Amino acid sequence: MPPAGPEVPLDQAAVLAALRSRVARLEGSGRAPQDLGAIPVCEGMGLPGGGLARAAVHDVLAASPGGGAAFCAVLLARARGTILWIACGGEGLLAWPPGLLRFGLAPASLVLVRAERWSDALWAMEEALRCPAVGGALLAASPGRAAGEGRLDLTATRRLQLAAEAGGAFGLLLRPDAGLSGAESRAEPSAAATRWRVGSLPAGAAGGLDEPRWRLELLRAKGGAPGGPWSVTWHAATGRLQLEDAAPAPFREGLARGTAG
Amino acid sequence: MTEPGRPGRFLALHLPDLATDRIRRAEPGLPPGLPLATWASLGSRRLLLAVDPVAAAAGLLPGQALADAQAIMPALLLRPADPDGDARALHGLALWARRYTPITATDPPDGLLLDITGCAHLLGGEAALLRDALARLRRLGLAARGAVAGAAATSAALARTRADNPVAVSGIEARVAGPLPLGRALRLPPALAGELSRLGLRQVQDLLDLPRAPLARRFGQAVLDRLDAVAGRHRPPLRPAVPPPELRVVRELPEPIITRAGIDAALDQLLEALCRDLLQAGLGLRRAMLSAWRVDGAVQELVVTTSLPAREPGHLRRLFAGRLERLEPDLGFERMALEAWATEPMAAGIQAGLRVGGRGDEAVAAVALAQLLDRLGQRLQVQRVAPLASHWPEHMVAALAPQAASPAVPAGWAALPQPVLLLRRPALLEAVALLAEEGPPALLCWRGAAHRLLQAEGPLRLEPEWWRARPEVPRRDYYRVELASGTRLWVCRSGAAAAPRWLLHGHLP
Repeated sequence: MPPAGPEVPLDQAAVLAALRSRVARLEGSGRAPQDLGAIPVCEGMGLPGGGLARAAVHDVLAASPGGGAAFCAVLLARARGTILWIACGGEGLLAWPPGLLRFGLAPASLVLVRAERWSDALWAMEEALRCPAVGGALLAASPGRAAGEGRLDLTATRRLQLAAEAGGAFGLLLRPDAGLSGAESRAEPSAAATRWRVGSLPAGAAGGLDEPRWRLELLRAKGGAPGGPWSVTWHAATGRLQLEDAAPAPFREGLARGTAG
Repeated sequence: MTEPGRPGRFLALHLPDLATDRIRRAEPGLPPGLPLATWASLGSRRLLLAVDPVAAAAGLLPGQALADAQAIMPALLLRPADPDGDARALHGLALWARRYTPITATDPPDGLLLDITGCAHLLGGEAALLRDALARLRRLGLAARGAVAGAAATSAALARTRADNPVAVSGIEARVAGPLPLGRALRLPPALAGELSRLGLRQVQDLLDLPRAPLARRFGQAVLDRLDAVAGRHRPPLRPAVPPPELRVVRELPEPIITRAGIDAALDQLLEALCRDLLQAGLGLRRAMLSAWRVDGAVQELVVTTSLPAREPGHLRRLFAGRLERLEPDLGFERMALEAWATEPMAAGIQAGLRVGGRGDEAVAAVALAQLLDRLGQRLQVQRVAPLASHWPEHMVAALAPQAASPAVPAGWAALPQPVLLLRRPALLEAVALLAEEGPPALLCWRGAAHRLLQAEGPLRLEPEWWRARPEVPRRDYYRVELASGTRLWVCRSGAAAAPRWLLHGHLP
């Protein structure tokens, strides 16, 4: 029988996340990102495991289509290897390699797949994740589609998650943000390892439109606590996302919750 | 392929009433007892082109004036001639005849030639094969005669002149062709045939007996060439309707199969056999075609392609699996064939290691990726991208086949501010600009709501590439705009200065 103490109602998940983030910070400072296994997002975020896990799928809710696609491109470029960009019908939005190159995604590693039906797109995503030769795969549901078409329910995401675990690929599910509040977005069932929301922030004075600013929010994470929102800036010259130091007060609060648990 | 001079066996089929039989097949309601003919305009005259046996028995002839024919036989059914349709039908029949041999050729306007060297034993001999072909054509509603001989032209001459569907021995082509009537055997124009007949030259043998040089001077080299071909002295190679495949396996189905399970089983056996042949030949498959012959004579074909040479039955089965539903068995398939249309040398062992998986071995990974792209490519549009040196957005990227290597990025390719998502077709936007001809918009209507702009950068003026664009393509002024919501769009002004259009062309990061 364990002794009853004042810290009995212990939030195990929060403690684990804090320990993981501390270990990641101790280890991850001097090492090349690909050796870690996880895909780093941005220094200073203190994500559990040092970043986004490979061999898993991650949800990305894009408040603006361009910002979400660019954020995904950054992550996919860091995943290395052959990248499959699977788009599903709808508005006819094409992944545009000249623009993606600025986010590190080279045309030579890119394979574009286009599906008319959502079920075909899901099938293609599952096949891609299951293939050991694929570095990363992205499934983009076009914005403004009928409700049933772009749906990713628990069954679909679990299938994709299992496929990613089998094949070892890094999967991203890029979806338009339905405009739900944070709590509602968190509650939506999904087997994805993490769920992110990406919004665009007005461009800063320094870089103008060449250095886009985004608002990142980790809505939920398997075995970790949600975090953010963070304000980040993309520097194409260095190929890095820069966390803004002067985060406003509410942002700081979220940051503290995400890192220290 | 038949090299000239190589002894072979050839089956010729002659369809004397192809044009009228085709009409009766297409219009089953035509009364069978009434004469039928096709006609065409030749200058100001309208002439009969083809007459069916009933009309021919009543004395009508091809080439007769239409008005004369109608006067002789008021009940005559007439249809306009369709030589292109006849040629297409003949080509279709040449494909149909591939059930007997991979090398089939059309012999225009109304004949087929089949190289049946080494194929006849499958149906119990040449005579049986000939009978089978004639019976099937008759069931399709096509009157046909045929012949087998040691040279293609000899068999064609026999089929056209003899009604008893003969099978002639090889090596004595000149003796076989000797007694045939000259005009029809050599397919001479009627005027020339008449002239030869007046000279007493009525059989092929008569011409063979004459010295060649004066013949060539008098009647032209073309007549001599045809004579040599019919007599087996000169054997021009067949020009196959479809170039023959590199490897082919065939399965005769004793019972016509209708169910998917039956088709799957037959395909499995074909794949096993073909992959065994490929392994023996040290080849891998790049393109394969599955052909299924239906009981009613229709041929259905499915083609799959692979991005790397493959000879693993399981992989090929998965490629076919998504397409088998396109087969329509109807009354059932009686014969299926699998043909390798493109192959490449392939070393042993790569496929064997495939099941190991893992990221270590690069060759294994390349095969796994190729198989994945093959599978996706059967159902979806899969492409790699080639960066092109161009400033016009639509020309900056070209699509490549999934297995192609992407060329190097041209210098300064993405130097211009580019969107990360491009609209396949630029979408019309409602916009309010302070000035019509220049300057950014002040207000944009996007997704049903009006948006103020926080900032706009531009214009970036792009002129169409004069060396390839049509002259009416207008130039575009691109702006990068930021909406109050933070969304950044790539919009352009295009069209005439007086009435410009605002288009949304992409989403910026």
